[in-house]
Amino acid sequence: MALPMRDRSAKRMDVEEAAQDLRWRTLAKIERPLDRLIYLASTRDYNTGMYYHDGLAARFNQDIACQALAECHREAFRELVGSSLKELVAQVEGYIATTHTGPAEFIAVWRGLEPYRVAVPVEADMLSTQLLFSNLKVALAVLEHHLIHRSTGEQVA
Amino acid sequence: MIQLILFLGVGALLLISLFVLARRGAQAEGGAEALLEARRALSSLQGELLPTELVSRIFALDDLDYVTSSTSEDVRALFLAERQRIARSWVKQLRRQIVSLRNFHLGSARLYARLNFSTELTLAMEFAILLFACGALDLALRIRGPYGAQRIVDTTTAAAARVCEISEKSLGFLRPGNASPFGNPPTARNSAAL
Repeated sequence: MALPMRDRSAKRMDVEEAAQDLRWRTLAKIERPLDRLIYLASTRDYNTGMYYHDGLAARFNQDIACQALAECHREAFRELVGSSLKELVAQVEGYIATTHTGPAEFIAVWRGLEPYRVAVPVEADMLSTQLLFSNLKVALAVLEHHLIHRSTGEQVA
Repeated sequence: MIQLILFLGVGALLLISLFVLARRGAQAEGGAEALLEARRALSSLQGELLPTELVSRIFALDDLDYVTSSTSEDVRALFLAERQRIARSWVKQLRRQIVSLRNFHLGSARLYARLNFSTELTLAMEFAILLFACGALDLALRIRGPYGAQRIVDTTTAAAARVCEISEKSLGFLRPGNASPFGNPPTARNSAAL
């Protein structure tokens, strides 16, 4: 059922407040947009598309928390799409360091499974999504090249 | 006898009125669909395909410089192939939405929008330039790669921004609260040339 204009505006303000709360308390500690995207995607139920965050839902309510998480997810996505290739390579490299996985193994798995495909917001437009996936593919190739280059250098040394 | 003729005449008139009303209803329904289709095309252009940040990112020279200076020839080839694919996908989607908008202007726009003759003429010219530019851009991207057609990219985005501005006026009465959930606010100024 459609909400009256005044209720909609009040709800919008609540969503904005919840999103701000999420940015200050949680997302501010996650420096890289790639990490934020993955974190926010992990709060989403893949079957329903609904986002869940107990703390935020307790402070506001489930519906407001869901919308705030979705908004922050879109923000992280936009930021990541706007990153240059050099920045993206640095972000993937930083992310690898937090996973406690070997870079070679990580690159092989990300290439094979392409897990980033499920991390985009539902409303993401096709072209931005295509650009991000393409950039990630190239970023993995760049990282692999750096890895080979580094290990060859170490062997020579 | 006269009564019967009168009765049949009134009946025929009623049937004709009913037929005319039914046709008008169907036309209005089709018109509403055309309007929504045009609004969607305009939102997609302004919110998804023309924002300066996205177009600049697709054709960003700093990405090419980075790949050229810090990776191998294989990675550079992969990068160029990927960017070419994305750039051509952008042109394809742009063309599709432009055609959709043009169809609206050719068919239903004059029923709703009060465009004067000179604006309609300008619009027709812009559509022609734009569709030609899309074709030329696709060809240039295929032949010269993603970084060989910067001038045509500029021309195309500028012409698309002008078309959006005029279309925005003709669709102004049908402004949804949130036309673009994902992209930038739909203003033609956002989508100005690079």
